[in-house]
Amino acid sequence: MTTVDWSQLPPPQPLPDADSAGFWQATANGELRLCRCTNCGHWHHPPLEHCRRCAAPTAFEPVTGTGTIYTFIVQRQPAVVGYFDQVPYAVAIVELDQQPGLRLTGRVVDVDIDEVRIGMRVAARIEPLRGGEFQVPVFAPVAVV
Amino acid sequence: MDLSASAIVGIGRTAYTRKSGRTGISLAAEAIRAALDDAGLSPSDVDGMTCFSTGDPASPLRVSHAIGLDEIGWNVNTYAGGNQVALVMANAASAIITGQAEVVVVYRVLDSNVRYGKVTGAVEVGGFEQFAAPQGYMVPPQWFAMWAQRHQHVYGSTCEDLGAIAINNRAHAVANEHAIARDPLTLETYLEGRWIVEPFRVFDLAYEVDGAVALVLTSADRAKDLRHPPVYPIGAAEGTGAGGMPDLWSDQTSMYSRIVAPRLWARTGLSAADMDIACMYDCFTYTVMATFEDFGFCDKGEVGDYFREGRATYGGDVVVNPHGGLLSEGYLHGLNHHYEAVHQLRREAGVRQVDDAELALVTAGAGPYGGAIVYGRERPS
Repeated sequence: MTTVDWSQLPPPQPLPDADSAGFWQATANGELRLCRCTNCGHWHHPPLEHCRRCAAPTAFEPVTGTGTIYTFIVQRQPAVVGYFDQVPYAVAIVELDQQPGLRLTGRVVDVDIDEVRIGMRVAARIEPLRGGEFQVPVFAPVAVV
Repeated sequence: MDLSASAIVGIGRTAYTRKSGRTGISLAAEAIRAALDDAGLSPSDVDGMTCFSTGDPASPLRVSHAIGLDEIGWNVNTYAGGNQVALVMANAASAIITGQAEVVVVYRVLDSNVRYGKVTGAVEVGGFEQFAAPQGYMVPPQWFAMWAQRHQHVYGSTCEDLGAIAINNRAHAVANEHAIARDPLTLETYLEGRWIVEPFRVFDLAYEVDGAVALVLTSADRAKDLRHPPVYPIGAAEGTGAGGMPDLWSDQTSMYSRIVAPRLWARTGLSAADMDIACMYDCFTYTVMATFEDFGFCDKGEVGDYFREGRATYGGDVVVNPHGGLLSEGYLHGLNHHYEAVHQLRREAGVRQVDDAELALVTAGAGPYGGAIVYGRERPS
């Protein structure tokens, strides 16, 4: 029996579906686009084919990717494949500026993990995901003017 | 809805171990035979069987076959974690009350192939988790550490408060021979515990084990003639928000219990103050904190003091997790909480017996999804 070295495996890869394809196409182009209702303008994440408020069709539109950390964790123990040798790392739920409750979860980068705080202003940046062709949004602090 | 037209008449379980080397089917069959024996019934009396699982092979079909049934009537395998245990129990009661079955077995089994704390294999992730899992965020301790951090930010709760919950559970498990973790826990030891995912240390997480639990239900009428005093489901409620997506729940300082508690207390005419026992679902210490507040045992941010002052143990206001819970007795996905409630309400818990136990709240779930059920020694008039 071959011994598999789990620590060498890549991170989980996304399985896009018909509703999320636009998100992954945008990140592949280095852009963050989220799902938005073409009628009432409500943003949706995760994306939906039709608006959950007014049932009109949705489309992907670019967002600034700026927002505020709602909450965060610091992962210390290896727990997820692809990240066993990446600990410690911080992951935050970010409330985006576009709309209250519009949230995106991602790693917090470019900052000492002990400096991460709830309420911190961050901006999304698109990074390649190891192990495939996908790119993902991560968050870096932005200077508050 | 009068769930108390049904009753729990038998309970059974296997040993809880780190690694049994046995299949889920074998473990489930052992627990079910024990529960039927406890009730004074035999497998041939069973015409209904239900469990909840996340797709493991010990289904009601296979397990009913394994205990000798040539056919099974009412059977439901609910795809769920601990969030729907109360629903599964209420469904079993409903099946009896509506005449779909006469004797229903409810079970949950976990073997070493089912572990939720870690993802080691190569994976592709769909559904709503496809967005964050690629960033190293896909196991429950991570989701709920997010919630605990938010509570600390808003209410000033502390790791010491979470520790008080772990310590209380452990103190109860010390006297429970069935518990997997029985070494007394001090605050110092708790704080020395290694970080898993801040703000959770190792003692904030459920103790995953191999084992099985089973409960047998039948009608309240038939229950009177069986071996043990019946324990009655008094009322149950369910609630899930944010489509079951933890990161989307609007206020992570409260959980599903914000919806379920008023629903449950309205249906039963009871309140937190009426409970002698509270088997609080405790996949994480923080789950107890948020749901305990939501069910009305104390105000937001007061759980730490409540536990430190001895109000959550013998001689206090309500005994929380007298068996040690998922944190210390073992992670049987919450069905062991129902076993414990029945054991206590029958007043057969020995040195751990809660004096004059009449009513027990059992909660199930965490974050955006869950439910709860109240059990009683007496059928409400």
